Amino acid sequence: MSFWEEFLSKLSFGTLITLQLLTVTIPLSVILGILIGILRVYGGRIGKTLANLYVYIFRGFPLLVTLMIMFFGLADIGIRLTPYWAAALAIIICSSAYQSEYVKMSILSIDEGQSLAAKSLGMKRSTEIFYIILPQALRVALPGIGNEIIYMILYSSLAYIVGVNEIFSAAISVNSIWFKPTEVFLVTALIYLAMTTMASYGLKKLEHRLWIPGFETRRKS
Amino acid sequence: MSGETVLRVKDLYKRYGDRIVLKGVSFEIRKAEVKAIMGPSGTGKTTLLKCIDMLVKPDSGRIWLEDLELTDPRIDIGEARKKIGFVFQEFNLFHHLTAIKNVMIGLTKVKKLPKDEARTIAERALLKVHIERELWDKYPAQLSGGQKQRVAIARALAMEPMIMLYDEPTSALDPQLTGEVLEVIKELAEDGMTSLIVTHEVGFASEIADEIMIMMDGKIIERGDPRKVIHNPRREETRRFFSKILKIGDESR
Repeated sequence: MSFWEEFLSKLSFGTLITLQLLTVTIPLSVILGILIGILRVYGGRIGKTLANLYVYIFRGFPLLVTLMIMFFGLADIGIRLTPYWAAALAIIICSSAYQSEYVKMSILSIDEGQSLAAKSLGMKRSTEIFYIILPQALRVALPGIGNEIIYMILYSSLAYIVGVNEIFSAAISVNSIWFKPTEVFLVTALIYLAMTTMASYGLKKLEHRLWIPGFETRRKS
Repeated sequence: MSGETVLRVKDLYKRYGDRIVLKGVSFEIRKAEVKAIMGPSGTGKTTLLKCIDMLVKPDSGRIWLEDLELTDPRIDIGEARKKIGFVFQEFNLFHHLTAIKNVMIGLTKVKKLPKDEARTIAERALLKVHIERELWDKYPAQLSGGQKQRVAIARALAMEPMIMLYDEPTSALDPQLTGEVLEVIKELAEDGMTSLIVTHEVGFASEIADEIMIMMDGKIIERGDPRKVIHNPRREETRRFFSKILKIGDESR
């Protein structure tokens, strides 16, 4: 097999694994991030404390360290995760902690009057949160969440450290045989660039679809 | 003026920190009655209205809506709020919903009405406040201040409240837009809507109200027939208050 044959076949397999990892981690971390963000505002004493603790811990650990804990640390206490699931879990936990920050801030940015108006109509707290506050807050949080999604695409490469055969590990293994770092890492970088470009495009589209007249200017007044 | 009492407020107190905002406020409103509350800024008028809707919890005192005691902590306050329409100074329309959806959401999510029924009621409420069909699908940011406030009135009205509370409904509006909002409030009052209005519009209050209550420093210091309270008040503070706002009014003309 020539260099390019081996490289491209390994790389396309790696890309598939990375995409597989992202289709699990992106939606789950967004959902978890939203839930934790809600808990940090409306969770009551216990909910708030637990959610804040979660964010305090996993925003304070480097993703690489969390990843090691999920793979080796959990194995030590008898929970054996496959490399794939250890990586997925670490990325979800780390990213959701960051995302909850955007969600929390955006909820707090919604003016008090919205909540008063909801209450004055007789809405229950849960109705108010889900139909009045969140539809507005999540629009505000969307650019921040989008940013985290871009990071997630890039940081998924860390999964190679526990032995997931994703793009970066494919690049490393091809390079160790053929030693052509320029070609190998340039093409690898281009694949990441292609993925983040697609994600940015999708996020733009989504922002555009959810756009409401005057929604940004409203916050300045 | 006769008829059963809709709202009864008895000896209401509220303090924020060491500032006492309400110092024993009591009054009643009967069915179809219109009462206006006037007085200088920062004397507890807004707090009083918010206490009635239990958006602010009073420290002591009691409030009844007909036979239901709102200050009883055991009641379902959501149930009670359904029957009280609240119109805010800053409109507080839901920014992410169109005009008609703003009016519908209370009907579908609180009263649990089916969508088509909610829509019919919402359309009727919007027409009642003179918001025409071409504005129904506009978002709040696309409406003028006067239109926003009328949509907000329609939103409260659609819930079929027993009483409407208006908290300075025209204070956030440009002067040329106050007329359309005051006109709507007047029409509703003439249709028999029981109303409690906090306002600085002297002419409007004297025209529409059965009684004016003057609030100063957390207390109602004078109440009575509008013409009498405005032109021939018993209290010196009331006289000074009106001479001040009427003079400002003259200058701006």
